[in-house]
Amino acid sequence: MASSIDDLKTEIKKALPGLDMVIAWAAGPDPLSHTPLFITEEADVERIEWDPRCSQNLAGYLPGLRGKKVGIVVKGCDARSLVELLQEKLIDREDVTIFGLHCTGAVDARAARKALGSLRGGLESVSVNGGTASFSMSGEPRTLPLAEVLQKKCFTCTGADAEVCDHFIGEHGEPPRVTETPATTLEELEAMSMEERLHFWEDQMSRCIRCYACRSACPLCVCQDHCAAQSREPHWVDQTDHPREKLMFQAIHALHTAGRCTECGECERACPMGLPIMTLKQALNRSIQDLFDYRAGTDPDQAPPLFEFREEEKNIKEREW
Amino acid sequence: MSVNEGKELRIIGFLCNWCSYAGADTAGVGRFAQPTDLRIVRLPCTGRINPLFIVRAFMNGADGVLVSGCHPRDCHYSEGNFYARRRLEVLKALLPVIGVDPGRFEYTWVSASEGQRWRSVVTSFTEQVHALGPMPGFKSGTSLDMCLCHMDQTQAL
Amino acid sequence: MLTARYIADDKLMPWLLSLAETRQVLAPVRQGGQTLFAPLDADSQLDLEGLADASAKAALLPRCETLLEFHYSKGEGVPSRTELEVRETLPDRDAFLFGARPCDAKGFTVFDRVYDGGSRRDIYYCTRRDKTIVAALACTDPADTCFCNRVGGGPGDTDGSDILFTPVEGGYVIEPVTERGEAFLAEQPLVEAEGRLEEARQVRKDVAESMPGGDPLGGAQGEVLRLFDDQEFWGGVAAKCLSCGACSYLCPTCYCFNMTDEINGDDGVRVRTWDNCMSFQFTLEGSGHNPRNGKAQRMRNRIGHKFSYYPELHDGNLACVGCGRCIVHCPVSMDVRAIVAQARDRALAKQEHAND
Repeated sequence: MASSIDDLKTEIKKALPGLDMVIAWAAGPDPLSHTPLFITEEADVERIEWDPRCSQNLAGYLPGLRGKKVGIVVKGCDARSLVELLQEKLIDREDVTIFGLHCTGAVDARAARKALGSLRGGLESVSVNGGTASFSMSGEPRTLPLAEVLQKKCFTCTGADAEVCDHFIGEHGEPPRVTETPATTLEELEAMSMEERLHFWEDQMSRCIRCYACRSACPLCVCQDHCAAQSREPHWVDQTDHPREKLMFQAIHALHTAGRCTECGECERACPMGLPIMTLKQALNRSIQDLFDYRAGTDPDQAPPLFEFREEEKNIKEREW
Repeated sequence: MSVNEGKELRIIGFLCNWCSYAGADTAGVGRFAQPTDLRIVRLPCTGRINPLFIVRAFMNGADGVLVSGCHPRDCHYSEGNFYARRRLEVLKALLPVIGVDPGRFEYTWVSASEGQRWRSVVTSFTEQVHALGPMPGFKSGTSLDMCLCHMDQTQAL
Repeated sequence: MLTARYIADDKLMPWLLSLAETRQVLAPVRQGGQTLFAPLDADSQLDLEGLADASAKAALLPRCETLLEFHYSKGEGVPSRTELEVRETLPDRDAFLFGARPCDAKGFTVFDRVYDGGSRRDIYYCTRRDKTIVAALACTDPADTCFCNRVGGGPGDTDGSDILFTPVEGGYVIEPVTERGEAFLAEQPLVEAEGRLEEARQVRKDVAESMPGGDPLGGAQGEVLRLFDDQEFWGGVAAKCLSCGACSYLCPTCYCFNMTDEINGDDGVRVRTWDNCMSFQFTLEGSGHNPRNGKAQRMRNRIGHKFSYYPELHDGNLACVGCGRCIVHCPVSMDVRAIVAQARDRALAKQEHAND
């Protein structure tokens, strides 16, 4: 990874003069997660970091920077968001310079914090090798199983290399090998009765503080400032603290991203209450795969399935009655 | 309290103006006996139906939701029901995940002349929803004042 | 006369549960992987390690508070007339807030100046404040994102608390801070601290000394204000901000709210809910005009309010208590400390440039 970061810096330095900015990651205030870095001058390039702490999906910034020449560093999952943005013509391919990387898995900062305890001694480096993650704290390495410290989205990673890019840096590789992953929320739900499922969400949503970080962090939530959740007319959700209203919002988010969501996991990572909200999107994605044989974020020339139709739908059976 | 309390369930029907709504009327004019649980909302086209209408109906306590529009290739606006078909199929994947039994939601196609067919659709859907019984509620209730009192007592701050 | 008391570790939960029989006891408990303040019951898993994920502010300023309930009915005699019945809904329950950290408790003093500020009193807030005993728990293991010592606080401070608990070997030393706290403790079956007081002081002193250093962030009112028109600065600072509300809603000092009527048929409630200045809707006017149209202006307001406008109005007291939740939970890891420090450096540099 050390060589990747040097190559990345070199490529960015080369491209920077022709660009308005390059978005990458730099060390953040929290030792377990890096922070987006907006590079406009060469001196900033030295601040770039690249390791499993680079969790944010930077693609989400691009629609807001339309019209500018922007360079962007992406992991495999981030690149799928880029494809989706290109499909929906929310960004212009010729304005974006993509620096693609192979990702070894992204750390779940909350889980890692819990597993590691106090970090006041500092955390020099984080890396993923084979089935484990290693954290070097004050010179002493600590090794933890991936299932314990990676983000849940990495357990179901469909490709760790940025497939759409102008410059691929480093070696291509396989997704992280996570063994003995805990059951997904979707699997847990499948074992419940309908009533238990409703009450599961009621309990989860009772913790929601309505900060809408899930939406703000979603690279495909394009309404942003004009979100249905905050509209009074129409009045989709009311302002009371009832879990029903918050679940309604999650249904809005899931349906608005249906056929578009690439499972980049930003909604769940951004949630300060740790709510398993990507589950709803995963459920829709499974169904969309079955119905339309479609996976979001794979082909820039395809259209999302709910943007079009077939007169004869291969996998939709007409009702009997 | 309604006289039908305990006998009727709350079923919402989103019907296309150009076909099923008229089909329901045909059934009425033909004096076909049919269950009365369905409350009809008339829309210009099934393509106008935001799947969120259906989610919102369930969140607000509906026991069942029926969507009915023009047969495929018969849409008044050519392609509204084609889009609706895809959206409603996708919605079917969401409902059971949030705890709504898939049997509480159906979509179907009924034309203006199919009064008899309308009757059988409404009858079988109503029977299907009755077999499932009332939609399970939130533990904290559904009405505004109930939920506010409850929250004060048990929820995390 | 304020008397210190002591409770052993194993007596704490039974004591809190006995309190919960007569009043609401709010304490940090484990909920779905998070530690949050919630009403305590026998099933609760109390978590007194570190800082709770959300602040305790909702104990006095709920996420959603019913201000009144109303009901429409048909007028008698004249069918066209509608009668409106309005019912007041003041909080009526005594509460004991246990395990708030000194930063959380200090946050209440930020609210007090606004909601109980002499010229106007917010009866909902003041009623809750009067009915709630705030028992803070001194910190023993500050996180790497904690900075109370840079904003005029400390891990063992008592601002805003009625009672201070300090963990010592085998239990807690309980010191009343206010007369109210003393009166409350006097009725409790607790033993006197008997010489453990010094141990508690030492614990607090050691922790205070272990806090990471750094320049104080107060006294920057002028500097932040001078940057008001510096769009380049605020644009740069806010570039990575997502404009979500995680920082505001987890903040123990953010007190802005929104009011709406939520109506269901003939019944309705007027509710006051948390609002967040990072949201586009916060300053959206009825005409559609928005004076804070971009996230840079909104960030300027957030920083400005905490470190300039509020202290300007309230004797230099900051509207930040250094809990660091906005740093830990920010999806893009923004650092409020760094922004204030940058603002100050930039304002000074500009000043020097002007003087040259």
